[in-house]
Amino acid sequence: MSDISSGRGRNGIWKRIDPAVATAFGCIVLLLLVGSLYSSNFLHLEYLLLQLKVASFLGVIATGAMLVILLGQIDLSAPWAITTGAMMSCAAAAYGPTGVALAIPFGILCGMAIGIVNGIGVAYLRIPAMIITLATNAVAQGLMVVYTGGFSPQDEATEAMRYIATGFLIPSVPNAVLVWIVVGAGAVFFLSRTTFGRAVYGIGNSERAAYLSGIDTRRILVLAFAVSGGLSALGGVLLAGYSSKAAQSMGDVYLLPAIAAVVLGGTSILGGRGSYLGTVAGVILITLLQSILSVMQIPEAGRQVIYGIVIVVMLLLYGRAPASR
Amino acid sequence: MHGANPLFRMEGVSKRYGGVRALDHAELTVHAGQIHGILGENGAGKSTLIKIMSGVVAPDEGRMTLDGKEVSFASPAAANDAGIACIFQELSLVPHLSVADNIVISNPPKRFGMIDRKKQRAIAEEALARAGAADIHPLALVRDLPLSRRQMVEIAKALARKPRILILDEATSALTAADVSKIFAVLKRLREEGLALLYISHRMHEIAELADVCTVFRNGSNVATYEAGTKSDNEVVELMIGREYTNVFPPKAPVAASDNPPVIECRRLSWADQLKDISFSVRAGEVVGLGGLDGQGQRDLLLALFGVLRGVGGEVLIEGKPVRIRGPRQAKGDEIGMALIPEDRKTEGLLLPMSVRDNLSFAALDRVARAGVIDRAAERSRIDEMIRLLAIKTAGTDIPAGALSGGNQQKIVIAKWLMNRPRIILLNDPTRGIDVGTKQEIYQLLRKLAADGAAIIFYSTDYDELIGCCDRVLVMYDGGIRRELAGDGITEHALIASALNVEEDSMAEAVGA
Repeated sequence: MSDISSGRGRNGIWKRIDPAVATAFGCIVLLLLVGSLYSSNFLHLEYLLLQLKVASFLGVIATGAMLVILLGQIDLSAPWAITTGAMMSCAAAAYGPTGVALAIPFGILCGMAIGIVNGIGVAYLRIPAMIITLATNAVAQGLMVVYTGGFSPQDEATEAMRYIATGFLIPSVPNAVLVWIVVGAGAVFFLSRTTFGRAVYGIGNSERAAYLSGIDTRRILVLAFAVSGGLSALGGVLLAGYSSKAAQSMGDVYLLPAIAAVVLGGTSILGGRGSYLGTVAGVILITLLQSILSVMQIPEAGRQVIYGIVIVVMLLLYGRAPASR
Repeated sequence: MHGANPLFRMEGVSKRYGGVRALDHAELTVHAGQIHGILGENGAGKSTLIKIMSGVVAPDEGRMTLDGKEVSFASPAAANDAGIACIFQELSLVPHLSVADNIVISNPPKRFGMIDRKKQRAIAEEALARAGAADIHPLALVRDLPLSRRQMVEIAKALARKPRILILDEATSALTAADVSKIFAVLKRLREEGLALLYISHRMHEIAELADVCTVFRNGSNVATYEAGTKSDNEVVELMIGREYTNVFPPKAPVAASDNPPVIECRRLSWADQLKDISFSVRAGEVVGLGGLDGQGQRDLLLALFGVLRGVGGEVLIEGKPVRIRGPRQAKGDEIGMALIPEDRKTEGLLLPMSVRDNLSFAALDRVARAGVIDRAAERSRIDEMIRLLAIKTAGTDIPAGALSGGNQQKIVIAKWLMNRPRIILLNDPTRGIDVGTKQEIYQLLRKLAADGAAIIFYSTDYDELIGCCDRVLVMYDGGIRRELAGDGITEHALIASALNVEEDSMAEAVGA
C-alpha cells in the first residue's frame, strides 16, 4: 500500500489532471511550435480553425471508439460504419423530400444497426469484440458494394448534410466543430453524470464486479456498441456533407487514428480509465500530426508507420500502469 | 528408520502476507521411505508450507536443508531440480495436449532442438508404469480421460521428474473412494522405493490409513508430531483447535428469533454436482452460518441464491412466495432485497481504481438517480451516512478504493450493499485477510443488522466466527447440508467433527472420557 502516500501527496490541480492528458496537451503545444518553425502559418487562427474542423470528423468517430474502449472492448467496424452512414444518408436523399428530410437520421440509424449487431455478438453470444466487429465490418462492406455495384455512388449529399459539415452558424466557427462540441458535451455528461456512465467505467474495471453489483452488463454493452456505430455513421454523414458525396472505403483511414486518439488521450486500452478531455487532446494531436506530416510531404505510408510507432510508445508509457491500485 | 539422517529439514521458517502471519517459525523433518501426513484447519499454514518447499514462494526467514546441505529455491523449477515435486489440489494438466506431452511439459527431451517424440513417449510410458497407470495410452488426449485417470497422469508427471520428495496437496479431494484406494496402492509402493511423501488431506481416515508420521499445524506453527496410530481422532482434533480463544464477539440475541416467519426458504436446492438437495430457512433477525471445510459447496450455495448460477434446481421462497431469481439485478431489487458480499473483494467486490464514492454508490445507483441522471446531492448524503455508520477510514471520497487498507476496503464492499437496505444479506467469508479490529466491527455490524430485522447467511472458514456470531450453523459436506447446529450446540468439536464427516458419537465418547 505504498501508493497511499503518493495519492495523498499530490494536491490541488495535479491530483485531478491525468498525466497522460497533460502530456497529450504538451505534445500539441510542441507540435505547433515545431510546425511554426517550418511555416509561420501554423500559429494563425485561420489555420487552427481549419485544423479544428478537420479534427471534428475524427473527434465524433473517436467518441464512439472511446466509449467501447472504456468498456475494455474494441470496435473495428468503424471504417464501414462510417462509409455506410455516408452512403445511406446520400441514398436516402434520392427518395424525394421525405428522403431528404430523413437523410441524416437514416444514415445514423444504419450505423447503430451495425453497432447493435456488434453489441449482441459481444454481450449475448460472447464472441470476442475483435472478431465480431471485424466480421460486421466485412458484411457492411459487402452490402455497400452490392448497393453501389462497386462504383462510386452517384447520390449527392443533401443541403442539410453540407450545412452541418461546411456551414457557419456562428461566424468563422465551422458547423462541424459545433457538432463535435455537442457530441463531446453529451459524452462528458453521460460518462460523468449518469448511471450509464458509471456502469461503463465499472464494467471496464471489472465486468464480474459490475455484474455482481446488479448492473445489467449486457444491456450496457449493446448500448455502447450501438452508440459507437451511430457516432461512426454520424462521422460518415459529416464527411459526405464535406465532400458532397460518399465514396468507397472513405472510412478506412479513420480506424487507426480514432483508436490512436483515444489511447493517446490516456484512456486505458484495457478499459475502465480515461477522460473525454484526453480524447479531445488525442484527436487534436493526431490531426496536427497528420497536418504537419503532410506539410513536410511525408507520404501516407510514412504517416501510417508513424501513427503505429506513436501508439506503441504511448502504450508503453501509460498502458502498463497496474490496473489494481 | 528414525535414527537415519533426515532427508529434508525445515527450521524456523516464517512467512507473512501483509499483516497476516501465515507461517510462524515452522519446523518439519521428513525422512526417506515414509509417508508424512500434514493436518490442520483451514488457514493453519499447510498451503504456505508446501509453497515454500516447492519454491512457489520464498520464506521471510528460516532455513531448509536437503541431505544435510542448506538449500533455497528461487523458483518451482529449482525445487524440481533438487528433487521436490508437488501435486497441487487443482489439476495442472493441459486438456488439449496428449498424456505424454503433459508428462514432459516442463522439460521435454530434445534432439536437434526439436522435441524427440520417441523418447518423450518412452519417458511417459515409464512414468505411467511407475504410477501404476500403464493402461493409459501416452498419446491419448488428457481431455478424454476421466478425472481419476487425470489424477494418475498428474502423479506420473510428478514422477517423471524423478523426485525424492513428493508432495500431495489434497490430491484426492476430487476422487471417489475406489479411485482413492488405487492411488493409495501406488503411494505405498513409492514409499517402498524410498521416496519421501508428504500427504496433506482434510480426510482423517485417509491420513490414518496412509501415514507413518503425522504433523499437526495450527496458526502457522507445527504443534505436534507423532507416530501414526498413537493418537485418537479426538486428540488430533484437540490439537488442531488449540485453546487460543479470545472473545471478540458481541452477545447474541437473548431469545432466538424463532417466532418470526422465515424471510427466505430453500427447498431441495441443487446445482450440477456441486449442490445436493439443500433445504433450509432463515428468519428475520437470525444469523445463520455455513460451516464445513473449504470447498464443500458453500460458495456455490450463496451464488445460487443470488441468481448467478444457471440451471439451479429446487425452489426458493421469499416471505413465503416462490421466486425465481435470474441474476443479481433482480436479487437486489425491492421485491427480493438481497445482497451478496462476494468472496474476492479485489475482483468481485470492488472496482479498485475507481473512487471510494463511485464504489459506494455503484450497487445503489438506481436509488440516487432520476431517469438515469445521478442526483449528486442525494448520492453524497447517502455515502456520508454509510461512511459514518461503518466508520470507514478514508482520506476523502475521491481517492481510489484500492488505496485503502484491506479492512476498510471490505467495509466499502459491505457498505455499498447496505445502501440498498437489503433484508437478506449473504456474506462469503467477509473477514478473510483483514485485521482483528475490523473483524470485530463487522461482527457487531452483523448483529445490529440482524436486530434491525435482516436475515443473514454467513459463510466463514473461521470456526471461531461461526461459533461467536451465528444463531445456527449449517455444516456442509460434499455439496449437501451434513448437520445443523444451533445455540449451545455450536461448538468447535461439533463443527469439526461434522465438517470432517466423522461420527459424532465417537467424538462425544472421547470428550466424555
